[in-house]
Amino acid sequence: MNILIKSATIIDSSSEFHNTTQDLLIENGTITQIGNNLNNPRNYKELRLENLHVSQGWFDSSVCFGEPGYEERETIENGLKAAAKSGFTTVAMNANTNPVIDTNADVAFVNSKAAKNAVNLLPIGALTKTSSGTDLAELYDMSNAGAVAFYDYKKPITNPNLMKIALQYASSFRGLVCSFPQENKISGKGVVNEHITSTKLGLKGNPALAEELQVTRDLFLLEYTGGKLHIPTISTAKSVELIREAKKKKLDVSCSVAIHNLYFTDDVLADFNTNYKVLPPLRTKEDTDALVAGLKDGTIDIVTSDHNPIDIEFKKIEFDHADYGSIGLESAFGALQNIFTTKKTIDLLTKGKSRFGVENTSINIGNKADISLFNPETKYTFTRENIQSRSKNAIFEGVTLKGKVYGIISNNKVIIN
Amino acid sequence: MSELSVNHLLGIKYLNKEDIELIFKTADHFKEVINRPIKKVPSLRDITIANLFFENSTRTKLSFELAEKRLSADVINFSSAQSSVKKGETLIDTVNNILSMKVDMVVMRHPNPGAGVFLSKHVNASIINAGDGAHEHPTQALLDSYSIREKLGEVKGKKVVIVGDILHSRVALSNIYALQLQGAEVMVCGPKTLLPKYIGKLGVKVETNLRKALNWCDVANMLRVQNERMEISYFPSTREYTQQYGVNKDFLDSLDKEITIMHPGPINRGVEITSDVADSNQAIILDQVQNGVAIRMAVIYLLASKIKQ
Repeated sequence: MNILIKSATIIDSSSEFHNTTQDLLIENGTITQIGNNLNNPRNYKELRLENLHVSQGWFDSSVCFGEPGYEERETIENGLKAAAKSGFTTVAMNANTNPVIDTNADVAFVNSKAAKNAVNLLPIGALTKTSSGTDLAELYDMSNAGAVAFYDYKKPITNPNLMKIALQYASSFRGLVCSFPQENKISGKGVVNEHITSTKLGLKGNPALAEELQVTRDLFLLEYTGGKLHIPTISTAKSVELIREAKKKKLDVSCSVAIHNLYFTDDVLADFNTNYKVLPPLRTKEDTDALVAGLKDGTIDIVTSDHNPIDIEFKKIEFDHADYGSIGLESAFGALQNIFTTKKTIDLLTKGKSRFGVENTSINIGNKADISLFNPETKYTFTRENIQSRSKNAIFEGVTLKGKVYGIISNNKVIIN
Repeated sequence: MSELSVNHLLGIKYLNKEDIELIFKTADHFKEVINRPIKKVPSLRDITIANLFFENSTRTKLSFELAEKRLSADVINFSSAQSSVKKGETLIDTVNNILSMKVDMVVMRHPNPGAGVFLSKHVNASIINAGDGAHEHPTQALLDSYSIREKLGEVKGKKVVIVGDILHSRVALSNIYALQLQGAEVMVCGPKTLLPKYIGKLGVKVETNLRKALNWCDVANMLRVQNERMEISYFPSTREYTQQYGVNKDFLDSLDKEITIMHPGPINRGVEITSDVADSNQAIILDQVQNGVAIRMAVIYLLASKIKQ
């Protein structure tokens, strides 16, 4: 693949061309020239787009694609298309499939499905066999097949001893253990944040306490065991505080936050719209403020779309019965830009890679082209038309977003919307 | 104003003060009707109403059915202790099947909060919420306020305490909204385990001492402990609950003033109130039941007149 990108503003603080507008020549997937008014002697395809900006390829640490087993929700092929369309060059796929990805062969299957795609798919293996929370899955074997982390998607490890063992065991091969932050006995049958909204709606509350108890437990365990812990999708102010303190103690802990937990508060639930039913639940303004602050000061390492396609049969039902989750890849960039500057948004979309074992490739001559292309200024209302996913359960439907994605250049392929 | 601001009765929080006044005025008329020798009016001969009860109910269902029949509406009943989802059919499908038989109005009780709101967005009929999980039970709150108005002249300025299991109660929530809308002061009282943590943010007083609560109030609405809604025990024993939150006649007589006792039923006699309290002159429990029919007639009549337009 050869292409000449004309006048693109480079947003990449690790590049010497940061904040400058340049032409980029890409030959066979590698950036060979960056400069003003580059010639095109070999007559490559030229790419000119309005207010074009480029950055390192974006990364999402938590997506669900439903394959194998839930192809009616999403397939790997179409899921990766959605990722590319949304500017992501690397996504980590959760193991909440059927069967659950809990063996070397399952990881290999996912890898084979994603091979030769423009988007890199990083499989996450289940932490326990069938994600049932009783026995560890073959973590080392899965790691050898390419699993980048181990996570029972949205299922807390209720047995603290099992979490202790997981952290100890995985530490020998530097495996990244993920623990969903929820104490199930405290969360009970709660379906939304326990607060004034749950009281008004008569919906059972899932208190912030449930998350904070589990975060506390896991940080204590980590301090005891050593090892590498990732806490996906925290949602409360106190969780941020707990992790901030843990990082001061130099514990090897990272955490992420879902973009919808940054953006929405639980008062949007007033009319029982199941698109707002997510886990962890939408919380309060105090929490969203603390989460934003946590991202700004680096306490929270990663933002994720927590992309979870759910078909309509599991959403267009009574609130209590509806599944948790929202798609989020397509709206991720525009939503983040409603909260952060473009530079910060790009920083948040790229900095989590190293935690999941992916190298950052800066936009410099000689580097592999792993690039996201976008116009940071375009404002638009996010509608179904903007959704590539098979399932349309979009929490951001109807929201005005800032910034439109043009596409990606990655793995020697160009994908432009 | 002669019509409601809403097309459905999904909860008190969707109503305004004028709606409540209109419902009460209309209920006054129907209360007179149901005390006539011929207790029936032909107002809704052209209306068909489906009573869908996805959760057990005796008095609410009877009350609605009687209200519908007193208005001469055609009535069909559907009861299922199981929610339709468990049978494999969605709620929307169940209701649309019934509506395709030309039904104008649906009265629904459902175990899930928001089921009525959900339905109102997806089917073409007027919906009356007869209780949705721990969310709302609007006709109960209306009849409770109506009964207070009947007994004490008006609701405005009155002090009402709701006693018992507030956590699992749709009656409590609807009553809070209704009473506040009419200018009453509201307190909730019960063991802390049965009070939602953030209930105070609704602008109600919160009290765990029953004597203090009853000395404060004009009216005490004694809720039933809903053991069937509890997954774990929120207090050690019924005996101990009664020790702290039960009202007997001696207790009632020892208060600073004579208060009115209400109960949405069914009463656990000897638990939240003793028989001599339930049967005393201070209790208006059976008036509530009678007013329930008049209130439901009023609600159905007012919503039906919007359909007819």
